[in-house]
Amino acid sequence: MPVIQKEPMILHPRPSSIVAALYTLRDLETDVVILHGPPGCSFKHARLLEEDGMRVVTTSLDESGFVFGGMDALVNVLETVIERFNPKRIGIVGTCASMIIGEELHEAVNRVQPDVPVIEVEVHAGYRDNTQGVIIALESALAAGIIDEAEFERQKILLKEATMVEKRHGAASKDYLEPSRGDLKYKVAERIIQLLKEGKRGINILNAKKETAYMFADINLAVVQVAEKLGVGSNIVNMANLDEKLGLPKTRRDARNINEDLKGLGIEMHHIIGGLDEYPIAGNNVNELIAEKYSDFDFAVITGVPHALPMDNIKDMELFSITNGPRQVAPLKDMGHDHVVVELDLHPKTLGVNHIVESELGATLREMVKDA
Amino acid sequence: MPRQIAIYGKGGIGKSSTASNVAAACADEGYRVTIIGCDPKSDSSITLLNGRRIPTIMDLMRQGVDIKEDDIVFNGYKGVKCVEIGGPEPGIGCAGRGIIVAINLLRKLSKALEEADLVIYDVPGDIVCGGFVAPVKKGLVSETYVLTSGEYMPLYAANNICKGLSRLDVKFSGVICNSRGAPNEENIVNEFAKEIGSQLLAFIPKDVIVQNCEREGYSVIEKAPDSGIADVYRKLARRIMADKETHIPKSLDDARLRELTQI
Ligand SMILES: Nc1ncnc2c1ncn2[C@@H]1O[C@H](COP(=O)(O)OP(=O)(O)OP(=O)(O)O)[C@@H](O)[C@H]1O
Ligand code: SF4
Ligand SMILES: [Mg+2]
Repeated sequence: MPVIQKEPMILHPRPSSIVAALYTLRDLETDVVILHGPPGCSFKHARLLEEDGMRVVTTSLDESGFVFGGMDALVNVLETVIERFNPKRIGIVGTCASMIIGEELHEAVNRVQPDVPVIEVEVHAGYRDNTQGVIIALESALAAGIIDEAEFERQKILLKEATMVEKRHGAASKDYLEPSRGDLKYKVAERIIQLLKEGKRGINILNAKKETAYMFADINLAVVQVAEKLGVGSNIVNMANLDEKLGLPKTRRDARNINEDLKGLGIEMHHIIGGLDEYPIAGNNVNELIAEKYSDFDFAVITGVPHALPMDNIKDMELFSITNGPRQVAPLKDMGHDHVVVELDLHPKTLGVNHIVESELGATLREMVKDA
Repeated sequence: MPRQIAIYGKGGIGKSSTASNVAAACADEGYRVTIIGCDPKSDSSITLLNGRRIPTIMDLMRQGVDIKEDDIVFNGYKGVKCVEIGGPEPGIGCAGRGIIVAINLLRKLSKALEEADLVIYDVPGDIVCGGFVAPVKKGLVSETYVLTSGEYMPLYAANNICKGLSRLDVKFSGVICNSRGAPNEENIVNEFAKEIGSQLLAFIPKDVIVQNCEREGYSVIEKAPDSGIADVYRKLARRIMADKETHIPKSLDDARLRELTQI
């Protein structure tokens, strides 16, 4: 019997599969999600998601719920939610507590018989990879007829790739990752401006995960604006994973919103490299494009998930990478990225928005050429 | 769609012996049978496997090995598919969760739950937590039986089980009496069955052959096919396969139970 190669130790708390399921339900345009578990479970993200217009409520299982079960509570909350919020689509998400004691989410649906679709997600936080939470949510969405088989298969491939990206160079690459604030923004901005002034040519890449693009795009936008201000706009080539025809409903909408903003500001997008959920694989397109057309460029600005880009064709360029993970700095430096900037707390600022949001690095860049 | 049954009853009353003998008898008749041992003791299938203990799903999960169907589904007497879920060591971890995880894994890896004429879930005597009714709650058990003797405590347990089953909204197919040699036993259990709105399907006498065969690692059907008790198991097996009648059981109050068992 083949023994599974033991996975590396996890010493550091990891993104939660429960939370991943919540975000997936949001992308599926679920109106209300019921977390069947303790009131403190996933609190922070539950609140953040409400910014995005999805209500998140809890059955607030307590000690006695753990012991005696929480089916009545779930039925009660489900009925309350239907009455109070009149949702068109409901999600019920498990937690460690309810899953361990064997609660069947479907039992509540059977008892209440709502006349809107309910996506039941039997998930807990005990999976190594939080993408498992996404897969379970999508499986239920498929079963409920909310997505089709093709989209499900597409998502599964992307999630597998996303997991690989994190294992190779991301949050799952080491058992413990020291946080870092990255390089100073004004130093990095200064260097970008210097390169532009020297007439160097740069590739300006947005490879962001879903809604985080609302802020990452601002950095790419600032690079173009600065280049134009310096009279070297034509030295910049823009690429972005902003395909409006790919992904779950919200993902497409986000891409459309950002494209419209960029177009409104007169930015020309040279290459669309994938959808907003394709950040784990869009780098392959970047890789090919560079090999074909841009191998002699001098620098690259990569925002979003820079560690998903293959290093093959960019390793000789001066690399400016912008991430929102303080724990992504060390892995990026290890890969050979010269400058790594962290946009702290980026994600919360990109919830509940439908226009590009100003970034610190973007603002710094603009400020530094204000009087040029 | 196979018949999917579970036999409930007080601890030690004879659920596993009855389950394995019924499984063997059905296999004799040419039915495809699967038996799922849901007891951490993992003693449901030994007598179908000539006394061999098979690795349990939980054993393999604990070792972190990559589990395939062949590692957990074993062919026993006349092709009866045997699976043991197993569990953590007594007093450690959560056996109930173990059953949930194992059942999910089994459904994914094996067709033994679907490609069969009869699937028997052999459950432990006490349904201590939600996990132990996972097969029922997940819709994998569609009919239940209660095994009892004519004594007060086993009937008390059977009565409680009926209470629980009516709450779970699962179909009930009848009462089986496994005799402990109490006086007037068949009448008592027959009366109990009637009063809960059901029927007595079989009266299995107490017979040392059961234990003798068990000790050697066999079912009565295999080792003592010509014995009278083998015949009883065969009749029960036929009745289970033939019967389609189900009911929602009522339960009796304790005073009535005491009265019923008064000798
Ligand atoms: N009809 C019978 N005549 C004699 N012995 C029997 C009979 N039925 C069962 N036994 C014996 O009773 C003992 C307990 O039976 P068994 O293990 O089947 O009970 P169980 O209900 O499965 O117990 P548990 O609740 O612990 O799983 C066994 O040794 C078995 O051989
Ligand atoms: S342990 Fe699980 S159920 Fe409890 S708060 Fe954490 S994620 Fe939620
Ligand atoms: Mg038993």
